[in-house]
Amino acid sequence: MTAPVRMMDASRLPTTVFDHRSHMWWGTLGFMLIEGTTLFVCVASYFYLRVNTDSWPPDPAELPSRLWPTVHLVVLLASLVPVVLADRAARRLDLPGLRRWFVVASLFALSFLYLRWKDFVSLNVWWDDNAYGSIAWMTVGFHGTILFLQVVETLIFTGFLFSSDFEERHFSDAADSTFYWYFFVGSWVPLYLVLYLSPRL
Amino acid sequence: MTTDSLLLDPESLERERRELERAWGATPGLRGWLSDTDHKSVAKRYIVTALVFFLLGGVQAALMRIQLARPENTLLGPDAYNQVFTTHGTTMMFLFAVPILTAAGLYLVPLMIGTRSIAFPRLNLYGYYVYLIGGGLLYGGLLLNQGPDAGWFSYVPLAGPEFSLGKRIDIYAQTVTFTEISALITSVEIIVTVFKQRAPGMSLNRMPLFVWAQLVTAFMVMFAMPWVAVASQFLAADRLVDTRIFDPAAGGRPLLWQHLFWFFGHPEVYIIFVPGLGFVSSIVSTFARRPIFGYPVMVLSLVLTGFLSFGLWVHHMFATGIPQLSESFFSAMSMMIAIPTGVQIFCWIATLWSGRPQFRLPLLFVLGFVLVFIVGGFTGVMVASVPYDMQVHDTYFVVAHLHYVLLGGAVFPLFGAFYFWWPKVTGRMLSERLGRWHFWLFFTGVNLTFFPMHLLGLEGMPRRIYTYLPETGWGPLNLVATIGAVTIALSVVLFLVNLVASLRVGAPAGDDPWEAPTLEWATSSPPAPYNFHLIPTVQSRSPLWKRPPDAPVVTGLRSDMREILVTTMLDAEPDSRMRMPEPTIWPLLAAIATGVTFIALIFTPWGLPLGAALITAAFVGWGWPRARDTRLQREERGG
Amino acid sequence: MIQFPGAHSAHDPAGPQALLLDRLGDLLYLIAAVVYVLVAAALLAALLRRRRAEEDAEDPARERRMATAVAIAAGTTVATLVAVLLLSFGTGRRLTATPPPEALQIRVTGHQWWWEVEYRDATPARWATTANEIHVPVGRPVALELRGDDVIHSFWVPNLGVKRDMIPGHATSVLFQADAPGVYRGQCAEFCGAQHAKMGFLVVAEPPEEFAAWLDRQRDSARTPADSLARRGQEVFLASSCAMCHAVGGTPAGGRLGPNLTHVAGRRTIAAGTLPNVRGHLAGWIIDPQQIKPGARMPASAIPPADLRAILAYVESLR
Ligand code: HEA
Ligand code: HEA
Ligand code: HEC
Ligand code: CUA
Ligand SMILES: [Cu+2]
Repeated sequence: MTAPVRMMDASRLPTTVFDHRSHMWWGTLGFMLIEGTTLFVCVASYFYLRVNTDSWPPDPAELPSRLWPTVHLVVLLASLVPVVLADRAARRLDLPGLRRWFVVASLFALSFLYLRWKDFVSLNVWWDDNAYGSIAWMTVGFHGTILFLQVVETLIFTGFLFSSDFEERHFSDAADSTFYWYFFVGSWVPLYLVLYLSPRL
Repeated sequence: MTTDSLLLDPESLERERRELERAWGATPGLRGWLSDTDHKSVAKRYIVTALVFFLLGGVQAALMRIQLARPENTLLGPDAYNQVFTTHGTTMMFLFAVPILTAAGLYLVPLMIGTRSIAFPRLNLYGYYVYLIGGGLLYGGLLLNQGPDAGWFSYVPLAGPEFSLGKRIDIYAQTVTFTEISALITSVEIIVTVFKQRAPGMSLNRMPLFVWAQLVTAFMVMFAMPWVAVASQFLAADRLVDTRIFDPAAGGRPLLWQHLFWFFGHPEVYIIFVPGLGFVSSIVSTFARRPIFGYPVMVLSLVLTGFLSFGLWVHHMFATGIPQLSESFFSAMSMMIAIPTGVQIFCWIATLWSGRPQFRLPLLFVLGFVLVFIVGGFTGVMVASVPYDMQVHDTYFVVAHLHYVLLGGAVFPLFGAFYFWWPKVTGRMLSERLGRWHFWLFFTGVNLTFFPMHLLGLEGMPRRIYTYLPETGWGPLNLVATIGAVTIALSVVLFLVNLVASLRVGAPAGDDPWEAPTLEWATSSPPAPYNFHLIPTVQSRSPLWKRPPDAPVVTGLRSDMREILVTTMLDAEPDSRMRMPEPTIWPLLAAIATGVTFIALIFTPWGLPLGAALITAAFVGWGWPRARDTRLQREERGG
Repeated sequence: MIQFPGAHSAHDPAGPQALLLDRLGDLLYLIAAVVYVLVAAALLAALLRRRRAEEDAEDPARERRMATAVAIAAGTTVATLVAVLLLSFGTGRRLTATPPPEALQIRVTGHQWWWEVEYRDATPARWATTANEIHVPVGRPVALELRGDDVIHSFWVPNLGVKRDMIPGHATSVLFQADAPGVYRGQCAEFCGAQHAKMGFLVVAEPPEEFAAWLDRQRDSARTPADSLARRGQEVFLASSCAMCHAVGGTPAGGRLGPNLTHVAGRRTIAAGTLPNVRGHLAGWIIDPQQIKPGARMPASAIPPADLRAILAYVESLR
């Protein structure tokens, strides 16, 4: 190639970007849509079974208890505080702040494991009692896998924040991790309403 | 961003090229081979694997055809036949058609949009391994006489715990899960790659129709596959831990399975059809020597097909006696989807009309596509009529419909695509003469096999029967169908011979043997691991045909590490640079962890905690050393 | 008249529903053929038409003409589809009319892999139960109540234009009528396991008087056989496992796992439309059903030849 060629110089473009400018953000969004659809399928199945059943929950099943699921919901919502703060710290490229808030978020994450178990028990029905019990357990379970992955990811990432391998471009990953957190908390709210409150309607 | 005129000096260019080679090349050795994340290698593996599954599915088809060639044949008993037809359908849909058609996107999309990599290369490799494990599971099952035997849509209660003993259906459910995981990953790859990595100037409205088709497919996968993934987990749970979701005795509903399956299943058939539309557009445009007529209408049609395909699922359930109002709605929706399909066909005809068609092999397959596919399209419109469907539902008429659309709408374009892009992928041409034989035998065979099935259906032959009474009079037409299948098999053999011969003695192809308009032809054949040395910029929909002499190229991306250019979503303006991860063995290990988990879940609920542990480990392994790569690299470079 | 295996073609309608469907089909084939020829002709013309040397591929005037042509083609497509849709709705409406009060009510239950047929009546004593052969009077609408006992089956009689799934836990219904007397073959259309292929039945359409006489016979219990061999056969039958699965009216045999045999000898086929009901087949079936329908829910039995002869005589006496 010897003829003069016009060139577009990319060397000064940034390498750490956030939100819709970042690849990871889009990938995360994609998986959120997939998992959101998964949960939607559970809810659709729940209502399909419900409209085809005379009483809901079917006798002699009890109504679900509200206490622990509500506690869990509140804890989930409260966890958004450190997560939002972590998100902001990431955008400021503030490593100490990021570490601090990820540690707090990790503590929350650990509590979810216990509280999720309480969610199951509070359904007051076993998965093999009837179709109602099955779909309720499966729905909590599907959200449970998302919850579990988020907990694992958070714990690992927190550890990673304290290692010497952390580089500037990982701030963007941290922001994506919080992005996913919003989704997993947000998606629980409708499920909570459907599973624990709607049977009383 | 600045654009300057500069003289590129050959020496520094050559140095850069060597650096790129080192940064993007695969590591040698077995481990390097297993960790190779180049989107082209992964896509090639997908394609070869899917072709093997096509042959296996074809062998099953041949077995069925021999069994049915005459009444009361005894080659296969009911138990064997039911496993064979189920495995045939499951293989062709889940292990052949979807993977091979989306893998064409994994290979070509990055080249067509002018980028160096797919968006998440390791995840992509993981997706391949998961798919491979899924296929292995199905065939492992078949070898152990545990092949699924309740049909590719495995209706409950037949597939439920009470009526299907053994592990056959569990294997089906997990095979489906594996292939869904892999398809979903591919969809995210394609969407992010298309949205964020297009070469500067390739705004959405300049994107090749091929890329649009892959994009629409990816979105359909994203919203359709979760339905069957959830449904198959419900089924597995009903079978393993006694949940009662589909059990009518405990408030469950068999029809729920049908809704969940077909809400996926109908989009699925368009997931198989739409990529083929992309192939056809590329081929028609190249050989008509002009851009596709009516580009905006074509894009709109693709998008509309994607949308509409989610509103048709109930047309597979007309015989269940659902309320008439909803039947009418789904009937109308099913017919309306013929409009975007028809419009695309009309636009191709217009393109050919006004162009100067060159009768090369790929174009011949497009001709076959139209002539075969629309037969299936018309029978589709017939079965979309609720009353008409009452006669032909679950008969060989539907078998005829589905093969006409699948072979016409997906396999013909796929063969065309092979002849078209093989030179790019391997650097060698395929034989035109053998190819013509392949075409004519295939065309004859398909019609000979599947046309008589329409008549058989109307003469009362239901599908999925392992034998029939001599007095039914179905013998002669079935024999014709079997002869047709032999013809197809022959044509497939010629095709394989052609592929092998080309690898050994095929004429060298050069970069652009067809003088085609899109960017994949602007790089070498086969493309270098980094695809493009200098990322091109795009000024029109046919960048290689209408390129201004002063079109700039992109410089300034690092050549000593895997770096790509990220552009904005709508207008593809340069926005940032991104490091792509180095290859690692973790995708394979993570896929094995996933495989062990789901296979364990066939046998015991303890698969769940086991899986949790394994997947945690995989997460750590995969996620953690991301920075170590950099350090290693720095050390290698003596930094 | 085809006696075995019975007429089974959608092209040979024997009732008003089937006739409507056949006519709808003919129209659809015609439309498809015309559109096919048009599209194929346009495609071939586009490929083969002679071109002038100076033609410009993207000549704007021609682009406009082509846009018009595509729009017209699309418009025609829409119009054709709307026409097809209206045709289809029209036919559909006439098919799904609510059953008139004089309709004959029959309940059919699908089992793996045979059909239980019940003619119900206000007085339970007048119920009649049979299997695999449905008699209907010519010219009178028949309302079927369809149930699935184990898995999903589908009730299909091509010549009569009926198909409806039989779903466990969810009864369905369908209406049909036979206008021409005859024997029509029905077949299970939904895949239901090992013997889906051999899950057939017959619909026997006969003049109303014959039908009424037939139904009366079905309501009777089985007569105690007159000749001694058959009587011995009855004893063997009742003493062996047969009675656990089969019911014979008027005897202690009350099993419900298999077809009701009270009038089995009067049926044209055995094993769900699979074999003509003649002595040789009957014997073969009783000794080893698995040979004929592998997987069928009736076990082979090792009956001494003398007993077998007795059982056969008994079964054949059950008219
Ligand atoms: C590639 C896959 C593919 C494609 C593209 C289609 C396309 C269509 N299909 Fe098909 N279908 C299947 C794959 C596919 N199908 C499979 C696999 C099954 C069986 C599943 C199973 O049970 O195992 C099935 C089953 C199936 C059924 C259920 C039948 C039954 O079980 O009883 C129905 C019912 O409505 C249907 C309808 C249609 C329609 C209306 C179209 C339309 O999209 C067709 C539109 C195209 C055209 C009409 C031709 C081109 C148009 C023109 C040239 C314009 C002019 C046209 C007119 C004026 C009419 N399909
Ligand atoms: C893309 C999808 C696809 C493809 C390509 C095919 C291809 C073929 N199919 Fe199939 N088919 C389905 C999808 C597909 N099918 C589906 C979804 C069903 C429904 C399943 C169900 O009901 O659940 C079905 C069902 C089905 C049936 C009905 C079974 C039944 O209801 O009982 C039949 C019967 O004839 C059949 C036949 C064929 C034939 C003859 C081919 C031929 O075109 C195949 C041609 C290919 C070959 C013949 C391979 C050549 C092999 C060699 C050359 C040997 C080399 C081998 C080695 C080296 C190992 N198919
Ligand atoms: C375990 C249950 C069982 C036992 C025991 C059994 N049968 Fe059956 N029988 C069936 C079933 C189920 C069918 C329907 C099979 C099919 O068509 O798929 C059947 C079908 C038949 C038929 C054909 C009926 C028809 O209308 O098609 C005859 C006759 C018959 N059995 C006679 C006998 C005799 C005689 C015995 C005793 C030696 C016997 N059966 C024992 C279950 C049983
Ligand atoms: Cu019963 Cu198929
Ligand atoms: Cu469909």
